[in-house]
Amino acid sequence: MLSAFKSIPTHMDYKGQKLAEQIFQGIILVSAVIGFIYGFSIQQFGWTVYIMLAGFTISCLLTLPPWPVFRKNPLNWQPAVPETSGENRDKPQESQKKKKHK
Amino acid sequence: MNTVLSRANSLFAFSLSVMAALTFGCFITTAFKDRSVPVDIHVSKVMIKNVDDFTGPRERSDLGFVTFDISANILLIEKIATPIFDWNVKELFLYLTAEYTTKSNALNQVVLWDKIVLRGDNTKLNLRDVKSKYFFFDDGNGLRANKNITLTLSWNVVPNAGILPLVMGSGHKSLAFPETYETAKSY
Repeated sequence: MLSAFKSIPTHMDYKGQKLAEQIFQGIILVSAVIGFIYGFSIQQFGWTVYIMLAGFTISCLLTLPPWPVFRKNPLNWQPAVPETSGENRDKPQESQKKKKHK
Repeated sequence: MNTVLSRANSLFAFSLSVMAALTFGCFITTAFKDRSVPVDIHVSKVMIKNVDDFTGPRERSDLGFVTFDISANILLIEKIATPIFDWNVKELFLYLTAEYTTKSNALNQVVLWDKIVLRGDNTKLNLRDVKSKYFFFDDGNGLRANKNITLTLSWNVVPNAGILPLVMGSGHKSLAFPETYETAKSY
Protein backbone atom coordinates (compact mmCIF):
# COMPACT_ATOMS: atom_id res chain seq x y z
CA MET A 1 0.00 0.00 0.00
CA LEU A 2 2.92 2.33 0.67
CA SER A 3 4.04 1.97 -2.94
CA ALA A 4 0.58 3.18 -4.03
CA PHE A 5 1.07 6.32 -1.94
CA LYS A 6 4.59 6.88 -3.22
CA SER A 7 3.49 6.61 -6.83
CA ILE A 8 1.03 9.56 -6.60
CA PRO A 9 2.79 12.55 -8.17
CA THR A 10 3.02 15.48 -5.77
CA HIS A 11 5.53 17.74 -7.46
CA MET A 12 5.01 21.42 -8.23
CA ASP A 13 7.17 23.58 -10.44
CA TYR A 14 9.24 26.38 -8.97
CA LYS A 15 6.82 29.21 -9.55
CA GLY A 16 4.09 27.01 -8.12
CA GLN A 17 6.16 26.37 -5.00
CA LYS A 18 6.69 30.09 -4.53
CA LEU A 19 2.97 30.72 -4.96
CA ALA A 20 2.11 27.94 -2.49
CA GLU A 21 4.49 29.37 0.11
CA GLN A 22 3.05 32.86 -0.29
CA ILE A 23 -0.49 31.48 -0.01
CA PHE A 24 0.05 29.59 3.21
CA GLN A 25 2.11 32.32 4.85
CA GLY A 26 -0.57 34.86 4.00
CA ILE A 27 -3.41 32.70 5.31
CA ILE A 28 -1.64 31.86 8.57
CA LEU A 29 -0.72 35.50 9.24
CA VAL A 30 -4.24 36.74 8.49
CA SER A 31 -5.81 34.11 10.74
CA ALA A 32 -3.27 34.97 13.46
CA VAL A 33 -4.24 38.66 13.37
CA ILE A 34 -7.97 37.86 13.34
CA GLY A 35 -7.52 35.36 16.17
CA PHE A 36 -5.53 37.76 18.30
CA ILE A 37 -8.05 40.56 17.95
CA TYR A 38 -11.05 38.30 18.55
CA GLY A 39 -9.45 36.55 21.54
CA PHE A 40 -8.50 39.88 23.07
CA SER A 41 -11.99 41.28 22.65
CA ILE A 42 -13.74 38.33 24.33
CA GLN A 43 -10.83 37.73 26.76
CA GLN A 44 -10.47 34.02 26.01
CA PHE A 45 -7.20 32.73 24.60
CA GLY A 46 -8.88 29.47 23.53
CA TRP A 47 -10.60 31.21 20.61
CA THR A 48 -7.29 32.57 19.33
CA VAL A 49 -5.98 29.01 19.13
CA TYR A 50 -9.16 27.78 17.41
CA ILE A 51 -8.96 30.47 14.75
CA MET A 52 -5.29 29.66 14.16
CA LEU A 53 -6.16 25.98 13.76
CA ALA A 54 -8.87 26.88 11.23
CA GLY A 55 -6.33 28.93 9.27
CA PHE A 56 -3.91 26.02 9.41
CA THR A 57 -6.53 23.61 8.03
CA ILE A 58 -7.50 25.96 5.20
CA SER A 59 -3.90 26.43 4.14
CA CYS A 60 -3.31 22.66 4.34
CA LEU A 61 -6.18 22.11 1.91
CA LEU A 62 -5.01 24.85 -0.41
CA THR A 63 -1.28 24.14 -0.58
CA LEU A 64 -0.58 20.50 0.23
CA PRO A 65 -2.25 18.79 -2.75
CA PRO A 66 -0.60 19.67 -6.08
CA TRP A 67 -3.42 21.64 -7.66
CA PRO A 68 -3.08 22.44 -11.38
CA VAL A 69 -2.55 26.14 -10.62
CA PHE A 70 0.84 25.18 -9.16
CA ARG A 71 1.90 23.41 -12.34
CA LYS A 72 1.40 26.23 -14.83
CA ASN A 73 5.13 26.74 -15.53
CA PRO A 74 6.70 23.33 -16.03
CA LEU A 75 10.46 22.98 -16.44
CA ASN A 76 11.91 22.62 -19.91
CA TRP A 77 13.88 19.38 -19.72
CA GLN A 78 16.42 18.65 -22.42
CA PRO A 79 15.52 15.77 -24.78
CA ALA A 80 16.86 12.37 -23.64
CA VAL A 81 20.30 11.38 -24.93
CA PRO A 82 20.29 8.09 -26.93
CA GLU A 83 21.39 5.10 -24.82
CA THR A 84 24.65 3.78 -26.35
CA SER A 85 26.88 6.78 -25.60
CA GLY A 86 25.27 7.00 -22.12
CA GLU A 87 26.46 3.45 -21.22
CA ASN A 88 30.04 4.19 -22.26
CA ARG A 89 30.13 7.16 -19.93
CA ASP A 90 28.61 5.23 -17.00
CA LYS A 91 30.99 2.21 -16.91
CA PRO A 92 34.35 3.96 -16.22
CA GLN A 93 32.58 6.06 -13.53
CA GLU A 94 31.28 2.94 -11.79
CA SER A 95 34.70 1.27 -11.71
CA GLN A 96 36.23 4.44 -10.30
CA LYS A 97 33.63 4.44 -7.53
CA LYS A 98 34.42 0.82 -6.61
CA LYS A 99 38.09 1.64 -6.24
CA LYS A 100 37.34 4.49 -3.86
CA HIS A 101 35.31 2.19 -1.57
CA LYS A 102 38.34 -0.10 -1.03
CA MET B 1 8.77 22.21 -1.34
CA ASN B 2 8.61 19.64 -4.04
CA THR B 3 6.87 16.88 -2.09
CA VAL B 4 3.85 16.91 0.19
CA LEU B 5 5.99 16.14 3.22
CA SER B 6 8.32 19.07 2.75
CA ARG B 7 5.40 21.45 2.20
CA ALA B 8 3.69 20.05 5.29
CA ASN B 9 6.89 20.47 7.29
CA SER B 10 7.31 24.07 6.20
CA LEU B 11 3.65 24.91 6.90
CA PHE B 12 3.65 23.30 10.35
CA ALA B 13 6.88 25.00 11.44
CA PHE B 14 5.57 28.38 10.29
CA SER B 15 2.30 27.88 12.17
CA LEU B 16 4.15 26.99 15.36
CA SER B 17 6.35 30.07 15.13
CA VAL B 18 3.32 32.30 14.62
CA MET B 19 1.56 30.59 17.54
CA ALA B 20 4.58 31.28 19.76
CA ALA B 21 4.48 34.94 18.75
CA LEU B 22 0.74 35.11 19.59
CA THR B 23 1.35 33.57 23.00
CA PHE B 24 4.04 36.13 23.69
CA GLY B 25 1.60 38.85 22.63
CA CYS B 26 -0.97 37.44 25.06
CA PHE B 27 1.63 37.59 27.86
CA ILE B 28 2.67 41.16 27.02
CA THR B 29 -0.87 42.51 27.12
CA THR B 30 -1.39 41.34 30.71
CA ALA B 31 2.09 41.40 32.23
CA PHE B 32 1.95 44.88 33.78
CA LYS B 33 -1.53 44.82 35.21
CA ASP B 34 -2.14 45.79 38.82
CA ARG B 35 -4.13 42.96 40.33
CA SER B 36 -4.85 43.97 43.94
CA VAL B 37 -8.46 43.73 45.14
CA PRO B 38 -10.06 45.03 48.37
CA VAL B 39 -10.77 42.18 50.76
CA ASP B 40 -12.84 42.17 53.92
CA ILE B 41 -11.80 39.71 56.65
CA HIS B 42 -13.72 39.32 59.87
CA VAL B 43 -12.79 36.96 62.69
CA SER B 44 -15.49 35.44 64.85
CA LYS B 45 -13.70 33.24 67.38
CA VAL B 46 -10.15 32.64 68.60
CA MET B 47 -8.80 29.99 70.98
CA ILE B 48 -5.42 28.55 71.96
CA LYS B 49 -4.29 25.22 73.27
CA ASN B 50 -0.87 24.10 74.38
CA VAL B 51 -0.11 20.68 72.93
CA ASP B 52 2.77 18.45 71.88
CA ASP B 53 3.97 19.30 68.41
CA PHE B 54 5.24 15.98 67.04
CA THR B 55 6.89 17.57 64.02
CA GLY B 56 9.09 19.87 66.06
CA PRO B 57 11.17 19.83 69.24
CA ARG B 58 9.95 17.94 72.23
CA GLU B 59 8.49 20.81 74.28
CA ARG B 60 4.84 21.70 74.10
CA SER B 61 3.94 24.41 71.57
CA ASP B 62 0.99 26.72 71.15
CA LEU B 63 -1.76 25.66 68.78
CA GLY B 64 -4.20 28.34 67.70
CA PHE B 65 -7.76 27.94 66.44
CA VAL B 66 -9.24 30.78 64.41
CA THR B 67 -12.74 30.94 62.91
CA PHE B 68 -13.18 33.67 60.35
CA ASP B 69 -15.35 35.16 57.60
CA ILE B 70 -14.04 36.40 54.27
CA SER B 71 -15.88 38.49 51.74
CA ALA B 72 -14.22 39.74 48.57
CA ASN B 73 -15.45 40.43 45.12
CA ILE B 74 -12.40 39.45 43.14
CA LEU B 75 -14.11 39.95 39.83
CA LEU B 76 -13.47 43.66 39.90
CA ILE B 77 -10.08 45.21 40.46
CA GLU B 78 -9.74 48.50 42.33
CA LYS B 79 -8.56 50.99 39.79
CA ILE B 80 -9.10 49.25 36.47
CA ALA B 81 -12.44 47.95 35.28
CA THR B 82 -11.13 44.73 33.67
CA PRO B 83 -12.09 41.42 35.28
CA ILE B 84 -9.51 39.37 37.16
CA PHE B 85 -10.11 36.40 34.82
CA ASP B 86 -8.60 37.97 31.73
CA TRP B 87 -7.48 35.87 28.78
CA ASN B 88 -4.16 35.03 30.35
CA VAL B 89 -5.52 33.59 33.65
CA LYS B 90 -6.08 29.88 34.01
CA GLU B 91 -6.90 29.69 37.74
CA LEU B 92 -6.34 31.49 41.03
CA PHE B 93 -4.83 30.00 44.16
CA LEU B 94 -6.01 31.88 47.26
CA TYR B 95 -4.51 31.55 50.70
CA LEU B 96 -4.98 33.20 54.08
CA THR B 97 -1.76 34.01 55.99
CA ALA B 98 -1.28 34.88 59.63
CA GLU B 99 1.76 37.03 60.32
CA TYR B 100 3.09 37.87 63.79
CA THR B 101 6.21 38.50 65.91
CA THR B 102 7.32 36.54 68.95
CA LYS B 103 10.18 36.78 71.43
CA SER B 104 12.13 33.99 69.75
CA ASN B 105 11.43 34.85 66.08
CA ALA B 106 11.14 38.26 64.47
CA LEU B 107 8.77 37.20 61.68
CA ASN B 108 6.41 34.25 61.54
CA GLN B 109 4.06 33.53 58.65
CA VAL B 110 1.61 30.64 58.78
CA VAL B 111 -0.84 29.65 56.05
CA LEU B 112 -4.20 28.86 57.62
CA TRP B 113 -6.48 28.16 54.70
CA ASP B 114 -6.39 27.98 50.91
CA LYS B 115 -8.72 27.55 47.96
CA ILE B 116 -8.40 27.02 44.24
CA VAL B 117 -10.70 29.11 42.05
CA LEU B 118 -10.90 27.74 38.50
CA ARG B 119 -11.82 29.70 35.41
CA GLY B 120 -15.61 29.77 35.25
CA ASP B 121 -16.17 29.45 39.00
CA ASN B 122 -18.03 32.08 40.93
CA THR B 123 -15.63 34.87 41.82
CA LYS B 124 -17.57 36.52 44.63
CA LEU B 125 -16.17 35.10 47.82
CA ASN B 126 -18.65 35.20 50.67
CA LEU B 127 -17.54 32.65 53.24
CA ARG B 128 -18.93 32.63 56.77
CA ASP B 129 -17.66 30.82 59.88
CA VAL B 130 -14.81 29.03 58.16
CA LYS B 131 -12.42 27.03 60.33
CA SER B 132 -8.76 26.99 59.45
CA LYS B 133 -7.66 24.13 57.20
CA TYR B 134 -4.12 23.75 58.50
CA PHE B 135 -2.70 23.64 62.00
CA PHE B 136 -1.69 26.98 63.40
CA PHE B 137 1.35 25.78 65.35
CA ASP B 138 3.79 28.22 66.78
CA ASP B 139 7.49 27.51 67.14
CA GLY B 140 7.43 27.65 70.91
CA ASN B 141 4.92 29.44 73.10
CA GLY B 142 4.58 32.79 71.38
CA LEU B 143 0.83 32.83 70.68
CA ARG B 144 -0.41 33.27 74.21
CA ALA B 145 -1.30 36.90 74.92
CA ASN B 146 0.08 37.95 71.57
CA LYS B 147 -1.47 41.32 70.89
CA ASN B 148 -0.97 41.64 67.17
CA ILE B 149 -1.63 38.86 64.68
CA THR B 150 -2.34 40.08 61.15
CA LEU B 151 -4.44 38.03 58.75
CA THR B 152 -4.12 38.77 55.03
CA LEU B 153 -5.62 37.10 51.99
CA SER B 154 -3.17 36.68 49.08
CA TRP B 155 -3.39 34.84 45.84
CA ASN B 156 -1.28 33.38 43.09
CA VAL B 157 -2.48 33.98 39.55
CA VAL B 158 -1.74 30.93 37.38
CA PRO B 159 -1.43 32.29 33.82
CA ASN B 160 -1.68 30.70 30.40
CA ALA B 161 1.66 32.19 29.42
CA GLY B 162 4.31 34.02 31.40
CA ILE B 163 5.22 34.63 35.03
CA LEU B 164 3.01 33.83 38.04
CA PRO B 165 2.29 37.03 39.96
CA LEU B 166 1.76 36.92 43.71
CA VAL B 167 -0.82 39.48 44.78
CA MET B 168 -1.83 40.65 48.24
CA GLY B 169 -5.39 41.68 48.94
CA SER B 170 -5.62 45.23 50.18
CA GLY B 171 -7.53 44.54 53.41
CA HIS B 172 -6.13 42.89 56.51
CA LYS B 173 -7.32 42.17 60.01
CA SER B 174 -5.36 42.38 63.22
CA LEU B 175 -6.42 40.36 66.21
CA ALA B 176 -5.13 39.44 69.65
CA PHE B 177 -4.99 36.00 71.17
CA PRO B 178 -6.37 35.32 74.67
CA GLU B 179 -4.18 35.33 77.77
CA THR B 180 -4.90 31.78 78.93
CA TYR B 181 -5.21 28.43 77.28
CA GLU B 182 -8.47 26.70 76.40
CA THR B 183 -10.62 29.81 76.78
CA ALA B 184 -12.32 31.05 73.61
CA LYS B 185 -12.39 34.77 72.80
CA SER B 186 -15.25 35.96 70.61
CA TYR B 187 -15.18 39.05 68.43
